[in-house]
Amino acid sequence: MNMFIHEMKAYRKSTIIWTCSLVGIIVLFLSIYPSFAKEADVFKELMEGFPEPVRKAFGLSVDSMSSMVGFYSYTFLYITLCGAIQAMNLGTSILSKEVREKTADFLLTKPVTRSQIITSKLLAALTSLVITNIVYLTVASFMASAVKVEDYSYKIFFMVSITLFFVQLIFLALGVIVSVLSRKIKSVLPISLGTVFGFFIAGMLASIIGDEAVRYITPFKYFDTNYIIKNSSYEARFIILEVVFIVVAITASYYVYCKKDIHAV
Amino acid sequence: MNVIEIKNLTKSYGKARGIIDVSFNVEEGEIFGFIGPNGAGKSTTIRTLLSLIYPTSGSATIFGKDCVEFGPEIKKEIGYLPSEVFYYDNMKVIDLLKYSASFYKKDCSKRIKELAEIMDLDLNKKIDDLSFGNKKKVGIVQGLLHEPKLIILDEPTSGLDPLMQQKFFDLLEQENKKGATILLSSHILGEVQRLCNRVAIIKEGKIIKVEKISTLQENNHKKFKIEVKSKIEDNYFNISGVSALEINDNIISFLFRGDINLIMKKISEIQIANLWIEEPDLEEIFMHYYEKED
Repeated sequence: MNMFIHEMKAYRKSTIIWTCSLVGIIVLFLSIYPSFAKEADVFKELMEGFPEPVRKAFGLSVDSMSSMVGFYSYTFLYITLCGAIQAMNLGTSILSKEVREKTADFLLTKPVTRSQIITSKLLAALTSLVITNIVYLTVASFMASAVKVEDYSYKIFFMVSITLFFVQLIFLALGVIVSVLSRKIKSVLPISLGTVFGFFIAGMLASIIGDEAVRYITPFKYFDTNYIIKNSSYEARFIILEVVFIVVAITASYYVYCKKDIHAV
Repeated sequence: MNVIEIKNLTKSYGKARGIIDVSFNVEEGEIFGFIGPNGAGKSTTIRTLLSLIYPTSGSATIFGKDCVEFGPEIKKEIGYLPSEVFYYDNMKVIDLLKYSASFYKKDCSKRIKELAEIMDLDLNKKIDDLSFGNKKKVGIVQGLLHEPKLIILDEPTSGLDPLMQQKFFDLLEQENKKGATILLSSHILGEVQRLCNRVAIIKEGKIIKVEKISTLQENNHKKFKIEVKSKIEDNYFNISGVSALEINDNIISFLFRGDINLIMKKISEIQIANLWIEEPDLEEIFMHYYEKED
């Protein structure tokens, strides 16, 4: 418990900053929705002027854009991008920062098992993400109802929004396994930004190619907002894939970290 | 009773040498020195004892329990001071010490205050703002605040001024009197000589000697310096028991171990101008161990 509290304190600042950024983005995006909806036809024409690959890459779907949820799910792409960076940062740094800041000797010579250390750290990271998501969801819901021009399904709005958390979980797990496998990470940001943008661009390419198989590679494509809007459900195979990946990555992280030599600096 | 028992401990890092077949015991209530030059394997041995790294083969027990399997349990009674101390920079000293204390299920606040007073440490400063020596003090307080039964120190005095070293040694001696066993690794012989009862000498990953400090300094080694009147042949003193033989013109110096009469006879057979026989200090014995292995 003491480690959990210590970790929470350490993430306090970054949690606040990330939450504020996400909230800021969504407030900004949704506040332009009313004027967008008014001029929807003009925008449609404008968008049809773009070549199709460009539209696909940016997730611009001409028909759905004018609806509240459609517009939201377009902007949501960038929310998940930010959220993924936050989660990957957290995941990569929770264990590597002890080595980088040379505090591993302190923590690991205390009467605690390494599993306890990872558990506390993971829980703290998870709590940080949950807080971000709760605040985000609250503000986004409030904004959505404030700017709506017609009724929308809150269920679908909620289902789309919560995929932020799902994507974050994948990147958190990815970050943890990366940090456990590497001997020493000098700087977290290049790794997390590189990975997240890599997957993001892969996602854009996947949209252009339109190949189903490519969707499996990038977590950004696991939760297709168009599919959610149409069917008000998630695609089961991607949920299974996500769960399997997280379980494998976290189990492997526990295993590797418990066996790992912690070298002197 | 042995507090630490190390049996054939080997740790290799791929191709690089770690430690090879290290075995020694540390008895309850003693201050045990662990000396060797940089990179000899002192830290590797200590880190293995603390299960920061895992042995390639062999084993070590602390309080009779395997140090890997029962690591967390053993560590309740261990205080460790690493050679380089780094703590969460944005914390205050007192917060760090409280965090450290929170791992042990006892109230340490009184002990923290006592130790901070002895070591003259300002508890309300941020760790970030502390000098290296002051960080070291934080490390010392952190290592001793739960009154451990076994104190493991890895080159503890670097960065401390002589006055603080003195206070620190006094503190260690007090802890020792209260019953704590101490394992002190160092490459500074003076402090080992001052504090320790027994010492293990490690070189290139192997233990080359485990001995009582008093035995090491006993008369089995004498330092001879002879000024001769006329040059003698270089091999004249090259008999068994002589080591570190050096000949500079008329001055001959060497260490001798063995029957003193033998060497006196040798000396009496030549014409000498002057003769010095001294007890070597630990440093010379230590160097001698090192050179012998080349």
